[in-house]
Amino acid sequence: MRAGGVLRRALALSPNDPDALVGAGTLALARHDFAAGLRYGDAARRAAPQLVRPLGVIVDAQVELGRYREATRTLNRMVDLKPNLASYARVSYFRELHGDLGGALEAMRYAVSAGGGTPENVAYVQTLLGNLELALGHRAAARFAYGQALAGLPRYVPATVGLARVEAAERNYGPAIRRLRTAVGRLPLPEYVVALGETELAAGRTAAARRDLALVGAEERLLQANGVNTDVDLALFEANHGDPARGVALARRAWAAAPSVRSADALGWALTRAGNPAAGLRWAKRSLRLGSADPAFLYHAGMAARATGRTALSQRWLRRALARNPRFSPLYAPRAWAALR
Amino acid sequence: MKRALLAGLLLVALLAPASASAHPLGNFSINHLVAVSVSRDRVDLRYVLDQAEIPTFQERGLARDAVLDRKRAEVRRGLHLIVDGSEVRLAQGAGALSSPPGQGGLPLTRVELPLRAAVHARHRVEVRDDTFPDRVGWKAIVAHPGQGTAVRSTAPSGDPTDGLRHYPQDKLASPLAQRTARLAVAPGDGTLNAPKAPGGPTTTNRSGDGLTGLFEDAAAGRGALILLLLAAFGWGAVHALSPGHGKTMVAAYLVGTRGTARHALGLGATVTITHTLGVFALGAVALLLAQYVLPEDLYPWLSLASALLVLGIGATVLRKRLRARRGHSHHHHHHHHEDGLSKKGIVAMGASAGLLPCPSALVVLLAALAQHQVPLGLGLIVVFSLGLATTLTGLGLVVVYAQRLTAKLRVPGRVVGVLPALSSLAIVAIGIVMTAKALPQVA
Repeated sequence: MRAGGVLRRALALSPNDPDALVGAGTLALARHDFAAGLRYGDAARRAAPQLVRPLGVIVDAQVELGRYREATRTLNRMVDLKPNLASYARVSYFRELHGDLGGALEAMRYAVSAGGGTPENVAYVQTLLGNLELALGHRAAARFAYGQALAGLPRYVPATVGLARVEAAERNYGPAIRRLRTAVGRLPLPEYVVALGETELAAGRTAAARRDLALVGAEERLLQANGVNTDVDLALFEANHGDPARGVALARRAWAAAPSVRSADALGWALTRAGNPAAGLRWAKRSLRLGSADPAFLYHAGMAARATGRTALSQRWLRRALARNPRFSPLYAPRAWAALR
Repeated sequence: MKRALLAGLLLVALLAPASASAHPLGNFSINHLVAVSVSRDRVDLRYVLDQAEIPTFQERGLARDAVLDRKRAEVRRGLHLIVDGSEVRLAQGAGALSSPPGQGGLPLTRVELPLRAAVHARHRVEVRDDTFPDRVGWKAIVAHPGQGTAVRSTAPSGDPTDGLRHYPQDKLASPLAQRTARLAVAPGDGTLNAPKAPGGPTTTNRSGDGLTGLFEDAAAGRGALILLLLAAFGWGAVHALSPGHGKTMVAAYLVGTRGTARHALGLGATVTITHTLGVFALGAVALLLAQYVLPEDLYPWLSLASALLVLGIGATVLRKRLRARRGHSHHHHHHHHEDGLSKKGIVAMGASAGLLPCPSALVVLLAALAQHQVPLGLGLIVVFSLGLATTLTGLGLVVVYAQRLTAKLRVPGRVVGVLPALSSLAIVAIGIVMTAKALPQVA
């Protein structure tokens, strides 16, 4: 491992260097090795209890590992020590996971006004603010937040994708697809490629969608070649557009490595798509245990319930999925509406 | 969409892959390198593209020719060559596309494209690589020595990737992002002054000359000092035979003034002294003015001064000859010691031969200063100049004795009588040519 080799050497020279430990922890998180990330974060905190940065690594690892109560304590300490962009952004995500979108919005506004760090950091939290606004159905506010991010950092890809999502929500599929294509041309993250493919599917451009979505399959192979085979995004991609059985296998590994609500959601949906909605429903319930208002979680749960014949439960979840943003996805929101009828 | 803080993690995973990856920024990257070399009459570039698995996959379904055409178009659009302030069109040569195997059973795309512009760069060459503006990757410009130029480059001479074949694996730091290079150009003999690594200390490379390499060997403790001095002497002696060191001029002068062995030796001594002083002076000036003027910029002026000196001497000799011919047209003797040009003329002649220091000698001196090897550098210059002078003196002696031989052989008087006038004409002609060559460089 390229970067890891340097860190290993740095750690061999000074095993208690907090910077090296934080670096190793961040890298472990990037490789989806959340347990190792937590170990490095804890070691960094022991080496330098006064530092705040190790707490960020610890919170991220705890959230991914599904240890939400411990994450609460770590996060509280982090905000007390340093109420800045990094800590407020994490508070916002934490509230969002618990279904408190209003609180998440408030915390993200703090994060934006705290500013600091690199222009990328500021553009990043502005984009996250836009995402929250869009989740609440505030399209104009979302567009404004993305515009702010792009004003500071033109060509910032996540904000470009955000604008495309606003356009897709307004059913301006042509401009949305053009924008997503630009974004994917610059930074073909699987998430963006999936967004492009699903917008094309919504616009009825099936051939183009199939072509673009094939790129995600290639990226999956590359991630595997690099030792990452637990990604939740890829499990959902397989469940929706590929081989649901493979999606189940990916999601099971994801859950084993990181028993978070995200992993539970992916596993549940893959099981439902693979023809086992009863198991899918059990996992969907687990994904909603924090009270998350994520429309994708609720849509997956509602469709699983519907397939098992539990119509009332299904309708409750689908209505909640559509309550904040009736167009949460160009592809799945119409399906949710159709299922409600 | 809702993974707020972890949204970027997958990006990091693809950007900094877990296993050893061929690419510095992982499977997304589009890496490119431009190698540039400035010669007297042209600028050569080589554009190398190494596209990782994902961008290659994004172009699947296109024929190889179509992919190559796309890259050609991107280079045509994004690669700029600015020579002395104005953009110059680059002619693209035959490009080559290959598909080396990458990770996950996916291919990569590799393109090599030679480009050329037939221009004579006088002062400045700028390379700007705006290709693939938004894509992450290793972006490099490297400079190579050209022919007939002395180049000082902001781009490094070294390429740690060996033409984008493997990348430094030990860097957590961002990869290289060199998209512009500025090169100061002056006439020379294939030297390149550039940092070895991006941002590193400056070193000098050369295309044809071997003295600098010898010096570097000695500085590194790899050669005996004696050997090095001998080599410098020999180098100077051989170097005097390469064009532009006034051999013809010296010979013509000795013939023209009916010089003696003493004159030839005096000439040699003057060349040694002026050449040594010239290098030292230029070195000192270069160091003093380093912030304002490139030493290469001084060459044109020195060339001009030297050319005008030769022209003046030629004219003087010619005038004397003509006057002498008018006065002694009925004589057929060859003993015109009273011509008397000797002392002053010899010094002027030697100075003009030695005033323009050989760029290689200056390079040695500057390299010595840069590497804190001042005494060695100075010694080498003196010995180098001695070698230079030995050759010139030897040539002078040959000419002198050949002249005596001619006298003994009783070559028809008219021929011998005309010879000095012809040779002074030759000096004038050489002076005119030198001036003509030096003037446009100054302008």
